[in-house]
Amino acid sequence: MEASTTTSASKTPADFLKSIRGKRVVVKLNSGVDYRGILACLDGYMNIAMEHTEEYVNGQLKNKYGDAFIRGNNVLYISLAK
Amino acid sequence: MALPTKQSAAPNNPSLLLPSELVDKCVNEKVWIIMKNGHKEFTGTLKGFDVYVNCVLEDAIEYDRDQESGKETTKNLESILLNGNNICMIVPGGERS
Amino acid sequence: MASASDGGEDQATLANQQTNIDESTVKEPLDLVRLSLDERVYVKLRNDRELRGKLHSYDQHLNMLLGEVEEITTIREVDEETYEEIIKSNKRSVPYLFVRGDAVTLISPHEIRS
Repeated sequence: MEASTTTSASKTPADFLKSIRGKRVVVKLNSGVDYRGILACLDGYMNIAMEHTEEYVNGQLKNKYGDAFIRGNNVLYISLAK
Repeated sequence: MALPTKQSAAPNNPSLLLPSELVDKCVNEKVWIIMKNGHKEFTGTLKGFDVYVNCVLEDAIEYDRDQESGKETTKNLESILLNGNNICMIVPGGERS
Repeated sequence: MASASDGGEDQATLANQQTNIDESTVKEPLDLVRLSLDERVYVKLRNDRELRGKLHSYDQHLNMLLGEVEEITTIREVDEETYEEIIKSNKRSVPYLFVRGDAVTLISPHEIRS
């Protein structure tokens, strides 16, 4: 099954996931917690493995993890960090 | 192509526009996305989507209304993959009203 | 080993695309959990619960068996008069624990102190 009808300039979720590996990202969960770090890898459930992860609650740094696994069902969005 | 054709979906109604076809018309256009929880919204340029309506947005803005104070916070995001799980509505145009 | 293409969950198609694209290079997120087997891990759950314990086993849903577990529950209350937020945390020890995967939000391989 194709991800969507693709026009020449469109970027499907699969394209996006492929393009952000190894980049600095912000992962926002439904609870409002942000995780900032380097995206090591992810799968189709949006399960995410991150390195140098920082946990932000209400914009405040609360925790740091060397590596972290985030369960995909909690993910609201994945954003490229500026 | 994942989308059924108009003919197979509704043989007697040539004017029918499938929901996914409407979203497909929005690719590379501005959209306004309203989430299920009722206090979170996004606008941005829709770059693509898949069968779960996971959406890639560029130059996205996240709007979050605090339920107690009614104050709205916005956050600019360059490029995001929005999980389709929590999407309620997609409005073509990207102008919030 | 849990492959993302195991079907049954609704994101399976995207998973297939992913694995087809980068079969050789991808180390999937669950590998991080696999590498933590028999090690002590930090687990964050929904509703402000945290666990530290030895990871005995897990499955593709992130159901887990933990041993020698320390559970921390955090309760937030707002004082009615001063509107100050009171944070209470309770600790308890459990020798052996099954964790249902759907409550899990985060797993970190190295036990960390917050």
